[in-house]
Amino acid sequence: MNAVELRNVCKKYDEFVAVDSLSFAIPPGKVYGLLGPNGAGKTSTLRMMIGIIIPDAGDISVLGEPFRRAHTEQIGYLPEERGLYRKMKVLDHLMFFAELKGLSRAEAKKRALQWCERLELSKWTGKKVEELSKGMQQKVQFIGALLHEPQLIIMDEPFSGLDPSNAIVLKDVLLELKKAGKTLLLSTHRMDQAERMCDSICLINRGRSLLEGDLRQIKSRFGMRNVQIKYEGDSRFLHEPRLVQSFNDYGNYVEVRLAPEADPQELLHLAASGARLSRFELMEPSLEEIFLDAVGKSNA
Amino acid sequence: MRNTWLIIKREYLERVRTRSFIVLTLLLPAIVGGAFILPMKIATMKSGGKTPHLVVVTSSRQLGELARIQLLAKDRSDDEEDNSTAKSSSENTPDKDKYVIDVDTQPSDAERAALRDRITTGAIDGYIWLSDEAIAQRKAIYSGRNATDFMDKSSLSRALTRAIAEQQLATRGVTNQQADDLFKPVKLDMVRMENGLESKASGGMFFLIFGMVMLLYMAVIFYGVSVMRSVLEEKNTRILEVLLSSTTSTELMAGKLLGVGAVGLTQMVIWMVMAGSLALPSLAMYPSLSEIHISPFALAAFVVFFLLGYLLYSAIYAGIGAMVTTEQEGQQLQIIIVLPLVVAVFVMGPILRAPDSPIAVWTSMIPFLSPLLMFARIAVQPPPAWQIALSLVLLTATIAGILLLCARIYRVGVLMYGKRPTLPEIVKWLKYAKT
Repeated sequence: MNAVELRNVCKKYDEFVAVDSLSFAIPPGKVYGLLGPNGAGKTSTLRMMIGIIIPDAGDISVLGEPFRRAHTEQIGYLPEERGLYRKMKVLDHLMFFAELKGLSRAEAKKRALQWCERLELSKWTGKKVEELSKGMQQKVQFIGALLHEPQLIIMDEPFSGLDPSNAIVLKDVLLELKKAGKTLLLSTHRMDQAERMCDSICLINRGRSLLEGDLRQIKSRFGMRNVQIKYEGDSRFLHEPRLVQSFNDYGNYVEVRLAPEADPQELLHLAASGARLSRFELMEPSLEEIFLDAVGKSNA
Repeated sequence: MRNTWLIIKREYLERVRTRSFIVLTLLLPAIVGGAFILPMKIATMKSGGKTPHLVVVTSSRQLGELARIQLLAKDRSDDEEDNSTAKSSSENTPDKDKYVIDVDTQPSDAERAALRDRITTGAIDGYIWLSDEAIAQRKAIYSGRNATDFMDKSSLSRALTRAIAEQQLATRGVTNQQADDLFKPVKLDMVRMENGLESKASGGMFFLIFGMVMLLYMAVIFYGVSVMRSVLEEKNTRILEVLLSSTTSTELMAGKLLGVGAVGLTQMVIWMVMAGSLALPSLAMYPSLSEIHISPFALAAFVVFFLLGYLLYSAIYAGIGAMVTTEQEGQQLQIIIVLPLVVAVFVMGPILRAPDSPIAVWTSMIPFLSPLLMFARIAVQPPPAWQIALSLVLLTATIAGILLLCARIYRVGVLMYGKRPTLPEIVKWLKYAKT
C-alpha cells in the first residue's frame, strides 16, 4: 500500500496547464522529493493531495484509499507561503490548528507546549506571532503541521527562510519522523537538501514528470561521468573537446563532465602531463546537475 | 460542525480580547454621552449658577404679578403630558430658583435707560418691556445680555400671552378659577384598531421601526466591514491554505460570519445595557413613555429580523471580501449593500400607511428588503402568518445561498493571485469549486 498514489492527474487553470498527466507513488515510511523549477506545478500537485484544489482528471489516493476529506486528519501540511494569524498568540494559534485537526483542547495544549520546548520556542508561547522573527514563525508553522501526529507529512519548501542551524534542527525532526515510520513528501527546488534527505524523487517541469524513482538508481543511471579535479598549472586539458563535454570551476576545484565515450584514464594522463594534480576523483553527477540537465533538455 | 464552532470561537475571542475592542466599547458611549450631556449641562448651568434676575416693566401691577406667576410656573409642556396630575397653573408651586423677577410699574424712557445701565453693570440680566402700547399691539420686548438662549423665546411669549389674557379676563369679571379652567389644555389620545380590539398606540411602534432601521444600518456598516476585513486578512496572510487543509471553505465562511457577527452583537448589547441603565431613570420621569405599548410579538420579530438582516448583509460583505484583494476595492463595492437599505427606507413610508397593499406584501418578501419591511408591517399591523413565514423562509434560504456562493468564490478566488476577477471569471470559479 502506497502512502500516496497519483494516476494521470491533470489540472488546468483556464488555458494554463499546471499539471499534465502526472503519475507517481510514494511508498510508506520514505522521504520523497517533489522537485522542479519555479512554476513547474509542484504546489498545485501538493494542493490536490490535500483537497485544496480538485484535479480536472486522474485519481489521487491517500493511505490506500481514494482521497476523502477525512484523510486530512492524517496529513500534516506546511504551505510554501506561511499562513499564520499575525495577531494571535503562539500557543493559542498552535492549539487552534490542533483542535481543527480533531484534538481535544487539553491534548492540543500539552503537545503544543512539548513541541515549543523542543524547538526552543518556550519563551515565546505567550507572544503574538507578529513579534516573532521569520525563522521562529516558520518553526511555529512547522509545529502546526505536526501537532496531530500525521501519518503523511507534506511540506512545501520547508527550509526556505531558515538559517543553517535552524534548518538542521528541522531536518533532524523530519528524519526522526521518518524513523518513526511516517511518510514525508518534500517539495523543493533546493537540490542539495533533496539530495541529502530523499530516498526517491520525482522531477517535474511544466507539469510533466521528467524523472521518477529511487534517487540512488537515478544517479547511477547517469554513471560515473563526473570528475572533480584540483590542480596547479596548465589548464589546457579542460579544453579538450574529445574528453571534456563541459566543466564548472568552483574555485577550489573544477568539476568536469566527461564527453560521451570518453575514457577518464585518458583525461588523467592529459591533465597530469601539464599540471600538478592534488585531487582527481571520479563521481556520480550531483542531483543539481541531473536537474539542470533534465530541465534544460525538456525546455529545449 | 465542530470546525465551524472552533472558528467561531477563535474569531470571537481574538476580537473581543483586543485592546481596541475594549477601548471602543467603553469610549464610544462616553463620547456620545458627552456630546449629548455636556451641552445640556452647560445650558442648564445658567451663567455660572446665578439665578437670572429679570425686571418686568408694565404700568399695571396686576399684570406684572400675573406675568411673574406665569414666568415662574413650571414648564407648561410638563402639564400637558401629565394630565392626571394637572393642576391649575396658579396653584402650581412656582419654581423659586428659576428667576428672580421684579415688577417695575414705570414704563418711562428714563426708567428704560436706567434699566439698560443696570444690565451693563450686571445688576440685572434683562428686562421685559410691556408698556400699554406694547400690550395693545401684543408686541413685548425682551432686552438682555444674552437675548438668544437665556430663555426659550416661545415659552416667554406663551407666559406673557397668558398673563395678558388672564388680566383681560379679570377686568371682564372672570375669576382666576374660571380662567384656569378655560386654559386647561386638551390631551389627545391615539387609539389603534388591531383585530377589532382597541389598543393605545402612542409613538411606540414608530419608535421601534425607526430604531430598527438605525440599528440595522449601523450594525451593517460597522460590523459588516469587519467581516470583509477578516476574509481579506486570511487571503493576504495565506493562512487559508493551512485552514483548507483542515476544514472546508463553507465551514470557514460560516464560522467567520457568525464569529465576527457575535462580536458586533456583544458590543451592541453592551452599549444598549449602558444606555438603558443611564436613560431609564430619566425616562421613568416621563410617564407618557410608559404608554408606549410594544407587544412581545413585535419585540420577538424585532430580534429575529434584526439578526437575519445582519447576517444577510454581513454575508454579502464576506462575499465582497472573497472577490477583491484590497480593502479599497471592497469599499467601492459597498454600494451593493447600501443600496437595498436605502430602497427599504424609501418604501417604508407607503408601507406604513398601507401595510396591506400588494406593494407592501411583495416588497416585504424580497430578502434584501424584508428585514426592515416585514418587521415594519408586523409592528404596524401584523400580516397573515403565512406571509411572515414565507418571508422568513426566503430570507434564511438567501443567507444560506449567499454563504455557499461566497464559500466557493472564496475557495477558488483566494488561490488565484493578484487582480480582481471579472464576472465571467467568477462564474468559472463557481464551476471549479464544485466540491
